[in-house]
Amino acid sequence: MKLHILLLLFTLGLLRVYSQDQVIKGKVTDEEGRPLVGATVAIKNTNISTTTDVSGNFQISSGGQLKPILVVSYVGYANSELAARPGGAFTVSLRQDAKALNDVVVVGYGTQRKRDVTGSTATVRADEIAKRPLVRVEQALQGTTSGVVVQSNSGQPGKSLSVRIRGASSITGSNEPLYVIDGFIGGNTETLASLSMDDIESLEILKDASATAIYGSRGSNGVVLITTKSGKEGKTRIDINPWFSKAEIPKKLKLMNPYEFGLGVNLQTKQANPTQTPPFFDAQLNDLKTTKGTDWQDAVTQKPWIQNYQVSVSGGSSNVRYLFSFNHLDQPGLLINSWYKRSTLRANVDVKVNDRLDLKFNVYTLLPNSRNNDFAGDITDPFAQAYQWNPISPIRDASGKFILQSNLGSNATNPVAQLTNGLNDNSGTTVVGTGVLNYKILKGLTFTTNNTYQSTNSLQQELYGPQTAQGIVGADFAAATTNKYYNWQNSNFLTYTNRFGDHSLTVLALYEQQVDQNIMVKATSTNLSTYGNGYYNLGVGAAQKTTSGYYKDVLESYMGRVNYSFQDKYLLTASVRTDGSSHLTNKWSTFPSAAVGWLISKEKFMENVSWISSLKLRAGYGVAGNQAVGAYATIRKVDGQSSTPYGNAGYFYDGTTLSVATPLGQPTTTTLKWERDATTDAGIDASFLHGRITLSIDAYYKKITDLLYAQPNPGWNNGGTYQNNIGSMENKGIEFAIGGTPLSEGRLKWSTNLTLSFNRNKVLSLAGIDSVVEGNIGSAQNGEVILVVGQPLGNFYGYKYLGTWKTHEAAEAASFVKHYVPGDSKYFDRNGDHDYSTSDYMVIGNGTPKYSFGWINDFSYGNWNLSFMIQGTHGNQIFSGTIPYAFGGEGDARNPTIKDFLNSWSPEHETDIPAMHPSNAHAINSSRFVYDASYVKLKNLSISYRLPHGLLNRAMIRNLEVYVSGQNLVTMTHYPGYDPEVSNANYGAHPAMAQGLETGVVPNPRTYTLGLRAGF
Amino acid sequence: MSTKYLTSLALMGSLIFSGCQKLTENPKATITALTYYNTAADLQAALSGVYEQYAYDGTWGFTNRMTTYFGADDLTTDPGLNKGPLREFDMLSGTSQNIGMDIYNTWKGIYQANNLLAVYQKADAPDSIKNIVAGQCYFLRAIGFYYLVRTYGPLPLVTKPVNPNSHPKRDSVAKIYDTIVADLQKAKSLLPNQWPPTEIGRATAWAARSLLADVYLTMAGWPLNQTSNYALAAAEADYVIKNGPFNLSTPYDKVFTTNNTPETVFALQFSVPKSLPQRSYGNSCVPLEEVAVNGNSGWDDYYPEINFYKKAPACFRTDATFYTTLKLRNNDGVTYTLVNWDDPRTRARHPYYKKFRAGLNGDGVSETATSIAYMNPSTNKALDIIRYPQVLLDYAEASTMATGNPSPDAYAAINQVRHRAGLGDLVSGLGGIAFRDSVVFERAYEFAGEFGMRWFDIVRLQLLPQVTADRANEPNQIPTSITSNPTILQQKYLAPIPFRDMNLEPGWTQNPGY
Repeated sequence: MKLHILLLLFTLGLLRVYSQDQVIKGKVTDEEGRPLVGATVAIKNTNISTTTDVSGNFQISSGGQLKPILVVSYVGYANSELAARPGGAFTVSLRQDAKALNDVVVVGYGTQRKRDVTGSTATVRADEIAKRPLVRVEQALQGTTSGVVVQSNSGQPGKSLSVRIRGASSITGSNEPLYVIDGFIGGNTETLASLSMDDIESLEILKDASATAIYGSRGSNGVVLITTKSGKEGKTRIDINPWFSKAEIPKKLKLMNPYEFGLGVNLQTKQANPTQTPPFFDAQLNDLKTTKGTDWQDAVTQKPWIQNYQVSVSGGSSNVRYLFSFNHLDQPGLLINSWYKRSTLRANVDVKVNDRLDLKFNVYTLLPNSRNNDFAGDITDPFAQAYQWNPISPIRDASGKFILQSNLGSNATNPVAQLTNGLNDNSGTTVVGTGVLNYKILKGLTFTTNNTYQSTNSLQQELYGPQTAQGIVGADFAAATTNKYYNWQNSNFLTYTNRFGDHSLTVLALYEQQVDQNIMVKATSTNLSTYGNGYYNLGVGAAQKTTSGYYKDVLESYMGRVNYSFQDKYLLTASVRTDGSSHLTNKWSTFPSAAVGWLISKEKFMENVSWISSLKLRAGYGVAGNQAVGAYATIRKVDGQSSTPYGNAGYFYDGTTLSVATPLGQPTTTTLKWERDATTDAGIDASFLHGRITLSIDAYYKKITDLLYAQPNPGWNNGGTYQNNIGSMENKGIEFAIGGTPLSEGRLKWSTNLTLSFNRNKVLSLAGIDSVVEGNIGSAQNGEVILVVGQPLGNFYGYKYLGTWKTHEAAEAASFVKHYVPGDSKYFDRNGDHDYSTSDYMVIGNGTPKYSFGWINDFSYGNWNLSFMIQGTHGNQIFSGTIPYAFGGEGDARNPTIKDFLNSWSPEHETDIPAMHPSNAHAINSSRFVYDASYVKLKNLSISYRLPHGLLNRAMIRNLEVYVSGQNLVTMTHYPGYDPEVSNANYGAHPAMAQGLETGVVPNPRTYTLGLRAGF
Repeated sequence: MSTKYLTSLALMGSLIFSGCQKLTENPKATITALTYYNTAADLQAALSGVYEQYAYDGTWGFTNRMTTYFGADDLTTDPGLNKGPLREFDMLSGTSQNIGMDIYNTWKGIYQANNLLAVYQKADAPDSIKNIVAGQCYFLRAIGFYYLVRTYGPLPLVTKPVNPNSHPKRDSVAKIYDTIVADLQKAKSLLPNQWPPTEIGRATAWAARSLLADVYLTMAGWPLNQTSNYALAAAEADYVIKNGPFNLSTPYDKVFTTNNTPETVFALQFSVPKSLPQRSYGNSCVPLEEVAVNGNSGWDDYYPEINFYKKAPACFRTDATFYTTLKLRNNDGVTYTLVNWDDPRTRARHPYYKKFRAGLNGDGVSETATSIAYMNPSTNKALDIIRYPQVLLDYAEASTMATGNPSPDAYAAINQVRHRAGLGDLVSGLGGIAFRDSVVFERAYEFAGEFGMRWFDIVRLQLLPQVTADRANEPNQIPTSITSNPTILQQKYLAPIPFRDMNLEPGWTQNPGY
């Protein structure tokens, strides 16, 4: 490469010898004086250009100009122009500017200059990701981008997070965005887990339908485009980034100790029946004062060390660039005997075959391995049992055996025994290969084909022996489930780009096809004669059952897109995508979009407004879809298998002999179609004072039609439900992203970024039905969410709690049908019939935030850097299952365990915690358990120190940085449970409605991290 | 490698890939309606899927199949407890919101039969198999519609699989009966007369004929009042009596403790160990205060009205039918105190049903005269839907009403039933109407408590004014606003269409009075 440039310069020099041509020498560095490799240096108004070498040095001909102007550019940095004196030597320091409008951004099937983008998009770059010890890509979106609400539904390791771009847009289907990894539209559990955060170059978030319509039937929840790093030209670089985190439970509930528990049981007995002798006599109570008992919250949790290692080797020549990386994560969970481990390997190779042909090969693998990290978040989970268990009981008896059950507290199984003896182990192998071929057919015309193949094999092994909850009821079992999955995508597109005077045009035509297929086999063995072989010998069970499954999806698509700009000021983007899907009977659906942009700052009249560096107005409209219709949903099925070994499929013509029965399944409609989301978006992008302040505002209105729902099926046609497109819903909102560099004096720099998002959701129609009550979300609650036309999704539904009946209200309480007494729960008797019934239920809260925000601050002084992120939501509530169960008297929870119970109502002390009178209507479905879940979290605080260059150069070290950080260090909230961020979203048949319901979910850990970034 | 070569290779590659993917779906692990029903075995399995719909708890497997028939005098229920759905109809005050109308789920059987009848011809199976599969489907569909139309009146006449988004209107009762008759005519020509013992629960041609006789008899009464059907009913019943294999050799009490007796024309079969229990025998009919030694107690779901019991003729059948001495468990948990049904120590002060207690050989209530060892809510007892006495009494009534006077054969038929009951011959020389009333009286006690037999007689003969007038001062009083208003009382012969379907079918009109 160097040789080529020299040769070129030499040649040029020969040609220009008579025009006083001279060589300009110099060096390009970043703000801290570190060399920038591969920066472009050009002479303005000529076609002379060069790139910097590995030391950041360049030499360029002045092109015979007397006052040449150098234009220096580098991706991620603001361009710099300066007048050069021919023959002189310069050092050009480029300012890092992630928000620069000239940046090239990935937009799907190509790239675009940021300033030409007409849709609503946001970017998260590698340097932002590197600030936190992240393990999953969704975490990088939290707090960094406006319009994106990220909540980790559970603190269990290795679990995905819930990401909502501009609110939920489906009741039945997924609300997660579409993830596209290096062009592969396959952001599934495995491919997302296979991404090491250190391998990510950038995340591009497409928010409005004018930007996502190019992904057609999969674009309605927004799109996250993930680009992985490539090797850079130059000598081989080795980067080693290990970090270690200590994790702990962020909070414990205030539960009773053995003595208090004894008092509580006595109090409960007295409240239930004043004449009954209390279970604990005074002497026994006295003994309890010295009883050690068990703190079950401590017993089921641990404070694990999380380890993450990343090694990458990258480099390249002018025609081959490479990056190889290895990542290993070892993440034990907060719960004992739970973990998630993964190893990933990646090879990204870019080959420039010749001037016309580029090839790219990205191959990566994932080897995951986990145990007990998949509790759905239910009141029967061991974590939830811990706060319901008898604190007097030891974990084990004197002989070391688990005490499986207790006569007080929870009636369920000892949670430590359940976690220790119950195994849910998952392992697998994922291999993904992406090959991209780029061929320049003619000037401006390029053919690209992007082919990806993913293969995933997974194995789940379960063991619930006699010493588990399953074993106690005689349903002990071992099981193995294997899945063999593949996903294959082939995208082919032609891109034509040209400029005719003031007109600039890019046209793209795409043909794409994608297939994915899964085969599942599950073997379950019940009542094993021996558990000595664990889950490895399924043959010894008293009953065996084998089930299997299969599905295959095919999607075929055509897409066309036009980007047109006039004078680089007036921008137009239009696209149409047509998707043909195997899921639908009417296979094809079409998704159009159009957007316009106006770069006002380029207008003549703005030339003198120097404080505005750039100003762009955008407006767009587009339609995208949500593939909520499952495979085979339009095909009538025949029920061929019973669900249990002795299931009731079959008839007995003589009362004993089974005749297999294959009744027809539910009716289906052949007219099912994708949910359609039409978004109108208007936005403004601006930067002021030479880019020191940036501002981006978007307002949108998103209407979702053809909402898919399990509609009640009339009894005359077999009853039950059937999938149907009913109703519509809207999301409207406004979002802000404000960035700035308030301070940049010498070595001191402060940069800050604030994102703020408001979204309002409303159900517009439900096919003539006014409201639908959704139940069975976790076993703690039932019928707890209601969908009402004119109201937002996921309203909580129940009694409005008015405190307890007080002594002076005794007469009124007694006038109720069930004759309440002071100390009983008092609810709002909505219909005035003096009886609490479901007709008194009303909307008592909602789990969706009214707004959410993220605030990132970065202070650097020389080699020191301090950054922190504050993130929060406001206006959302949590309907807690944890608190009512800790108060006892529900399900398995017989006795109260929460300290507050000792403060329950008494004639002398009339609190609003009801007494456990037999007459008390103790309803979980009550606003008593609905809490404000607004929170502000110090999500991350990090201090890093970069060793000085001079020192490192001597040790042949390119870069060495040490950092300490903490995550979830401070949480400010009124919520009394473990973590206001977690909920059961993603639970049940209609996950969007379960947001804010919480029934014993593992909280997000607080972690302290020590890390190192070394480059050689 | 030359660029051209590489490029054309890549282009070719992508062309090869494209076009090979079809958008058609092939759910390999799922049986689909499109690809199934190919073999005789497929048809047989699908047919079992029709039968099982009727046998489920939720269709005809539990007492709630009779909820809407509690207006009859052979059924009443506890004034409190969780018997609201039954009580509503007992008080002739049923509502569309009633959650106990399991009879509406009869549609599930029709849904399965409609499907199988639509596809069975395409199977690669001998015609002989296809015919008997179709015959059973026709029979099962007919019996389903027969119960529904008598309970609800006009209904959509759905005879093939339909799209759930279609909204059929309610068809006239006459049209539905035409289909029932047509189905039974086909069934009787397609079905065999006999099945091997392992398939004893299948419908026979005799079952089709017997049902047809009953259908004709009902068509001759309210609401169609097509009296020309009496002769048809008589002819069908006569054929079964003359040529069929049935007899009343089983003692009356054993009919309810034995499966598939010589008088069973059609019965549903159950299997407790295989999760298909019959749940209206056993606990369901046992008083709440009766507690077995094993700790289980009765459910108090149904028992006869007092005057119905009091008017029963003294005979062996009456003794076998009614349970009049309750066994109250003493504090020792083992011994019992015997009290008469009207003893103040009983809860309801009502006689109960005895015939439904034992189940199959005592798998329901296992008891002696002085103690109850155990009781179960689930029994293996086959549920007789058509018993031979029905054919005999259908014949006796229909032949008499067809000609105006009872023939010797008509007398012979009713006397056969009376003799087995422990009664003497019916008074001879009765006029037509008097004879008919004697037959209806006989039916009331022969079939007391059995799946709406009494209620449907009340309906087709419009007996509510008489039955409500005869009612004693039961705890569940029928409001006088109903009994004293003939227009309102007339509306009670039909049950309300369930609210859920009324809500989903805005084009339907609810039955008058609901």
